[in-house]
Amino acid sequence: MVEFGQFSLCIAWLLALAVVIGGGVVGSGARTTPARLESLRRGTILVALTLGTSLIALGYLFVTNDYTVQYVWQYSNRDMPWIYKITAIWGGMDGSMLLWCFLVAAFSACVALRSRVYPRAIVAWLFSFLSSSTLFFTTITLFLTNPFRYLKSPVVMPDGNGLNPLLQNEYMAIHPPMLYLGFTGLAVPYAFCMAALASGQMSNDWIRLTRRWTLIGWTFLTAGIVLGGHWAYLELGWGGFWAWDPVENASFLPWLSATAFLHSVMVQERKGMLKVWNIFLIVLTYALTVFGTFLTRSGIVQSVHAFASTDIGWTFLVYLSTIIIVALGLSIYRRTELKPERAIESFFSREAVFLLNNLVLLSICFAVLWGVMFPVFSEAVTGVKQTVGIPFFNAVNVPLFLALIFLMGVGPSIAWKRSSLPQLLRSFAVPFVSAFVVAVALVFAGVVEFYPVLAYSLSFFGLMTILGEVQRGLSAQKGITHAGTWSPANLTTLWRRQRVKYGAHVIHFGVLIMTVAITASMAHKIEREFTLAPGERFSVGRFSLELNEFHEEQLANYEAIQAHVTLRALTSETPLEVLVPEMRFYRKNKETTTEVALRMGQREDVYLVLAGVDETGTKASMKVFVNPFQVWLWYGAIIMVVGGIIVAIPVPRGAKVRDSVSDKVAQSV
Amino acid sequence: MGKVFISLVVVFIVIGGALVYRATQSTSSLVLSPSEVLEKGSSRDLKRIRVGGRVVDPIQYQTEPQMILSFSVKNPAGGEGVVPVVYRGLKPDMFAAGRDVLIDGDYLGGTIQAAKLQTQCPSKYEPVVPGAAPAEGDKPTMAMN
Repeated sequence: MVEFGQFSLCIAWLLALAVVIGGGVVGSGARTTPARLESLRRGTILVALTLGTSLIALGYLFVTNDYTVQYVWQYSNRDMPWIYKITAIWGGMDGSMLLWCFLVAAFSACVALRSRVYPRAIVAWLFSFLSSSTLFFTTITLFLTNPFRYLKSPVVMPDGNGLNPLLQNEYMAIHPPMLYLGFTGLAVPYAFCMAALASGQMSNDWIRLTRRWTLIGWTFLTAGIVLGGHWAYLELGWGGFWAWDPVENASFLPWLSATAFLHSVMVQERKGMLKVWNIFLIVLTYALTVFGTFLTRSGIVQSVHAFASTDIGWTFLVYLSTIIIVALGLSIYRRTELKPERAIESFFSREAVFLLNNLVLLSICFAVLWGVMFPVFSEAVTGVKQTVGIPFFNAVNVPLFLALIFLMGVGPSIAWKRSSLPQLLRSFAVPFVSAFVVAVALVFAGVVEFYPVLAYSLSFFGLMTILGEVQRGLSAQKGITHAGTWSPANLTTLWRRQRVKYGAHVIHFGVLIMTVAITASMAHKIEREFTLAPGERFSVGRFSLELNEFHEEQLANYEAIQAHVTLRALTSETPLEVLVPEMRFYRKNKETTTEVALRMGQREDVYLVLAGVDETGTKASMKVFVNPFQVWLWYGAIIMVVGGIIVAIPVPRGAKVRDSVSDKVAQSV
Repeated sequence: MGKVFISLVVVFIVIGGALVYRATQSTSSLVLSPSEVLEKGSSRDLKRIRVGGRVVDPIQYQTEPQMILSFSVKNPAGGEGVVPVVYRGLKPDMFAAGRDVLIDGDYLGGTIQAAKLQTQCPSKYEPVVPGAAPAEGDKPTMAMN
């Protein structure tokens, strides 16, 4: 099976190389015949199939405990449940690179399957650029991080080292693949962009196609980032979900630039503006995914969960430079076709607000990048290595994010080209007054800190603008379809006809909910440490915690001490729940971890960690966090992902015509 | 390019740059190895430092009346000297002798007073030599101190 996996990998590499060269030759030739394009299409699909086969072969080696393979020995052992043997495939660098190869090839295959409807002139180049991405990662996997290497040992090892206990978690099954789907999905818009530039097909066709693929990658990346946060929240026991660690930032950077592109692309579609800007954002997004991979594989900056320092970092730098040089070269070559069709006329226009939104997102992107790379920059410039942490990221990003929330409310409700004062008043008077009332109410309720008050009131402002948009849409709808009368059918008709627009509102609504949840959990969190003997109680927030007993557990993989703690409301003797935080000792790895006990509630989470048991075995020390509105962060993220799916689903051809008519009516109101 | 576009870009470069500059000035920490802490801190206290080091025994974890973790760190790549560390808070998962940690805090009176302690880990878990024993952890018994 080792040879089979290795052979598949070699075949994939050769096929990818053939498609890269073939695509370039066909794309640059005078005749792109259907037969040639079909060969490239099949080649692209075959790359995905062979890489899939290689991945399955690696999975088979894990499941069958083949410890002759170094990677399997390193990341698995016999006691691990089978599900973790599968997830161990991406538990280390070699397997994660193979998964990356497969996913980028799978996305390329999906593009290939739909390629018959794409403009023929760009398809050959499209396959070439898509496969160049696959080729790069397959080259690294095959020659530098090959997971099929045999273990250099004189004897066959009876058992493996086992997966890190923190990675023996169900989130390991979904978080890394989701994140990788996001990263690799963003290779598609880059390939479309480069193909359009290389072929000279600079009409808006490619940008429309790119938008959908970007949304797919963006949605996966959003889900991956939030799942990572949820995993950290449940597993790491520090009561938080985001620590601005370089690895987290590596996933956040392309998300920011992709989000910027998803807004500015609308300006190009509608007005023919920001053409160079959009190319810059697409290339930046893809470059940031590669940079993130470099960051986590090079050991260039310190992180709590970076991969071990390896010598493959230079390959990413070479690839990164190539991406930038090729994009720059092609953009200069096509500069005459990239001239904007018109300029932004007014600050009070949707295109100006979208540009502002882009600038805020890129400012956040720059600040995060600066924060991540500051140790490298400071050492290079001053010779003294310095770093920044959570206070830096919060100090810069909180005001920028609040500006973004404000623009998120303004953007969808302001007119294209130019807005008059009466139009602005009609759209924003009610949201502004409502937000002001909320701010005053919060101050009277005792919330006096500046940023929380601003965050809550801006979120309310955003909510009111969304509701205002729906209300205006409904008014327009009943005007054209139901002769001025309102009926529930208006809402469904409006949704059906303007699904993309309202899908975007769903995403924005999710962001607003997340904003409120993040603000609440940052500003009003309660954190306490305490020690209890059985029968004793501790009060925190509106709850009391009573230690009942200790319990010892022996499982195949680990042994554990559990504390059984009854949670009650302070006002009642009725138990709400028995929380069972535990400490685990993994025998194979000789590692100790804590397992959090969590009671999720709509109003707050109670998050309990067992810190230790005293020498006599009669007292337990614990740490408790009460995190207000925490669950709404996850709800908000789910809403965002649902919104992303709604927008990404292709619009039926017939509906597009209706959409445009309906949209014009809505805009005119 | 339109005037609106250029004015907006310039305004944002100024605002973004000012925010980043101010935050960097007020929050940056010096990155030091344990041996550098001993060298630079021999004559004075060091405020706002980040130290990456390898945990060495003895480790003391007191949970009552306050959670206090006391240990020392040395250079991961080897070298002279160990620096004592005191961290008031919950012992992070997988904290053990031989494990690499990141410490943020101040070096006061010959001890790092850690405000933040993180164990470097998950994806870095890569024993290099076949059969090499992973770092020894603390087996949870009823006696945790």
